[in-house]
Amino acid sequence: MIEVTGLTKRYGAFTAVQDLSFTVRPGEVLGLVGPNGAGKTSTLRCLAGIIPPNAGTVRIGGLDLASDPVAAKRQLAFLPDEPKLFDYLTVRQHLAFVARIYGVANHEPLAQTLLEELEIADKADQLPGELSRGMKQKLVIACGLLHGPSVIFFDEPLTGLDPLGIRRMKDSIRQRALGGAAIVLSSHLLHLLEEVCSHVLILKKGEKIAGGTLAEVSARFAQGESHVSLEEIFIRATGGTEG
Amino acid sequence: MIRAFFYLRGTTLQNQLLSRVRRLRQPKYLFGAIAGAAYFWFIFFRQTGFKGPPGRGLPPMAEGSDLFPLVFIFGAFVTYALYRVIAAWAAPAAPGLPFTEAEAAFLFPAPLSRRTLIHYKLLSSQLPILFQAALLTLISTRWTFLGGNAGIHALGWWVIFSTLNLHTTGAALTVTRLIAQGVGKLQRQVVVFGLLLLLAAAVAVILWRTAPPLTANDTAHPAALFRYLAGLTRAGPLYWLLLPGRVVVAPFLAQGWREFFLVLGPALLVLAAHYVWVLRSETPFEEGSIAQAEKRGAAVAALKAGTYRLGGGKARPGPFQLASHGGRPEIAFLWKNLLSTQSFFTLRTFAASAGVIVVVCTWLSHGSDAQRSTLSILGVCGVMMAGYALVLGPQLARQDFRGDLGHMDLFKTYPLPGWQVVLGELLAPVAILTGIVWLALLTATLSLGAFRAPVVWLTVEFRTTAALCLAVVLPLLCTLQLMVPNAATLLFPSWTQATRTRDRGLDVMGQRLIFAAGQFFVIALAVLPAAVAGVLLWFAARLLGGEVGSAVMATLGIVLVLGLEIAVGLLCLGWRFEKFDLSSESVK
Repeated sequence: MIEVTGLTKRYGAFTAVQDLSFTVRPGEVLGLVGPNGAGKTSTLRCLAGIIPPNAGTVRIGGLDLASDPVAAKRQLAFLPDEPKLFDYLTVRQHLAFVARIYGVANHEPLAQTLLEELEIADKADQLPGELSRGMKQKLVIACGLLHGPSVIFFDEPLTGLDPLGIRRMKDSIRQRALGGAAIVLSSHLLHLLEEVCSHVLILKKGEKIAGGTLAEVSARFAQGESHVSLEEIFIRATGGTEG
Repeated sequence: MIRAFFYLRGTTLQNQLLSRVRRLRQPKYLFGAIAGAAYFWFIFFRQTGFKGPPGRGLPPMAEGSDLFPLVFIFGAFVTYALYRVIAAWAAPAAPGLPFTEAEAAFLFPAPLSRRTLIHYKLLSSQLPILFQAALLTLISTRWTFLGGNAGIHALGWWVIFSTLNLHTTGAALTVTRLIAQGVGKLQRQVVVFGLLLLLAAAVAVILWRTAPPLTANDTAHPAALFRYLAGLTRAGPLYWLLLPGRVVVAPFLAQGWREFFLVLGPALLVLAAHYVWVLRSETPFEEGSIAQAEKRGAAVAALKAGTYRLGGGKARPGPFQLASHGGRPEIAFLWKNLLSTQSFFTLRTFAASAGVIVVVCTWLSHGSDAQRSTLSILGVCGVMMAGYALVLGPQLARQDFRGDLGHMDLFKTYPLPGWQVVLGELLAPVAILTGIVWLALLTATLSLGAFRAPVVWLTVEFRTTAALCLAVVLPLLCTLQLMVPNAATLLFPSWTQATRTRDRGLDVMGQRLIFAAGQFFVIALAVLPAAVAGVLLWFAARLLGGEVGSAVMATLGIVLVLGLEIAVGLLCLGWRFEKFDLSSESVK
């Protein structure tokens, strides 16, 4: 469960996120959309405890991220769009390192399952320099999921994946949600959000434009039309301009 | 966390070593490793047989001739330490702590407290500190005039670097906190530089009023100079002003173990005080760390891709106005490549520098003996600068094929013959190096006016002619020097790739040495016919006229031969460029 109240993030005089409030319950997948510079990445980084917000509270599984960051972070995973890996740790060693940090006991079978699920088991003893971008992305996902997080933040999760990888990733997100995880997913790929998200939150210039279930947001911007795509809703909601 | 830290560091080290051993299967790394090991052994462990008893490595640096390198090394270290401290306090943006992108990606969202992250960083910095201490111990064991021994020096270096590291860490956290509280860059920089100026002024005034004059005896050998400098800091107000620094350096300067343990206590107290300060300065540093990590990551990626810009990647006006119609295409390459370097490499800067040199040297040459001495020192510096620019310059000015390896396919689509592209690519580094060596030559030439007792043949007329002749020859030498690494790029791109990355190791160092040796050999071969032609013409002209005419004739000969070599080189490299297929090369 993710509870966000009055989240505000400023960089000097520039306000990236303004008074944002929303809740993601277990089993829900929230799609975070907005034009470039809308504040999506800043929001995700604040939610994951990577950077501190200037105001507001973030509760992960009922724990306040500001006052009890270690316990709150134990429940979450943040999967960035750009895979940043240690140059001299193999795929398997990355997982071993993460297991130590998160205190995952007997991680080997879990790691093996994840590697097979993500189809990088045959690359287990290779260094990042020998992997394609897609493989690196899969490794980041495997590292994020190793400790069985109940809250997952995905920042552009499909970047660099091949068509089969995309299909697997979408299935994986749905399965994690069905398993009770609360998921926030930021992406410009609106068809992805339509396929996997139960809820959507539209941001513009750091502020919430619209939020709710896909049906609720559609109803608000459909203007009486039926079967309006999320792309059309997005354009109508944001006025078709930059963040 | 400690276990995870040691797992990460241990595994990284092990894999790093393994991958470096594995790459020795490639001849370019194997030969590099052999050359690197030989160089390392030669510098630190060889038994000279010339000085000192055999079997004891290099001789101690205790002679008067060792004074200059010693002053240079000490000066470099003090400058480095000062730079780190000032850079930490006067950082333009929130510095955070220096995490890598991977560390930030894995550790910041992990269930770790901020204090744990600080400890992680402090522990991480110990490995480079231990390496630095070991390396400097190898160097400082030759400084026998300091007393002590290798063990004392190693521990002393460790204390110095650990304190410096804790200080910069504390400063980074404090600055991050100050920025969060709204203290601006200008306010901080005014305070930092103001304090620094105040300190420098106080030291200068104290020295001026109390320091005994520096006699010839004090500069006779390193021990005498060290005694003189130590004496300055042990008496009067300087004792108190420099006390914190003295306490930290004291273990390194201990004469024996007994003294070492006596002075170690206060030094460790300073270290502990810094540690407490760091922990008490705990503040949200993640934003600054991420920004710095991304900046560093981008710089490393650009360096690997050959697109790194010294100017920091900011858009700026061109070095000169590129004509919108007509003009030679080579000039467009020059314009493009000058844009990829520092913005101060312009004709205006060089002209202004030349003006300053002329004014300063003229003023010094008409002054007292002390001023003339200063001018002769400037002259020596000018000669050294020209030498360094000619020898090392081509390795630093890389705004040519070495930086454009990734753009080769694009260049091949241009409707230009190969030689023209090669010439265009060479122009920017040639222009930069020529500017630098000309300034150095100007300094050296004007400094000759410092000689009060005239050397018979060193007339103003001869000096001017010789300088002008050299000024004509030097750009050609720069071009030749730059043609060698560019030829290497076109002929052996995978080797060149290895030498331009930030990759480290004995084998990479060896590759660079092999390149440098190869360059030296090729240049020697290229210069030999020009030198022979110059000497022959000199003697032939001497039979007909005076010194000036001979110098001009010799220069003409040299220019002719070097020009011919460069033209042939350009045609050959142009042909190679037209045949060049990067995809068929093993650039990894």
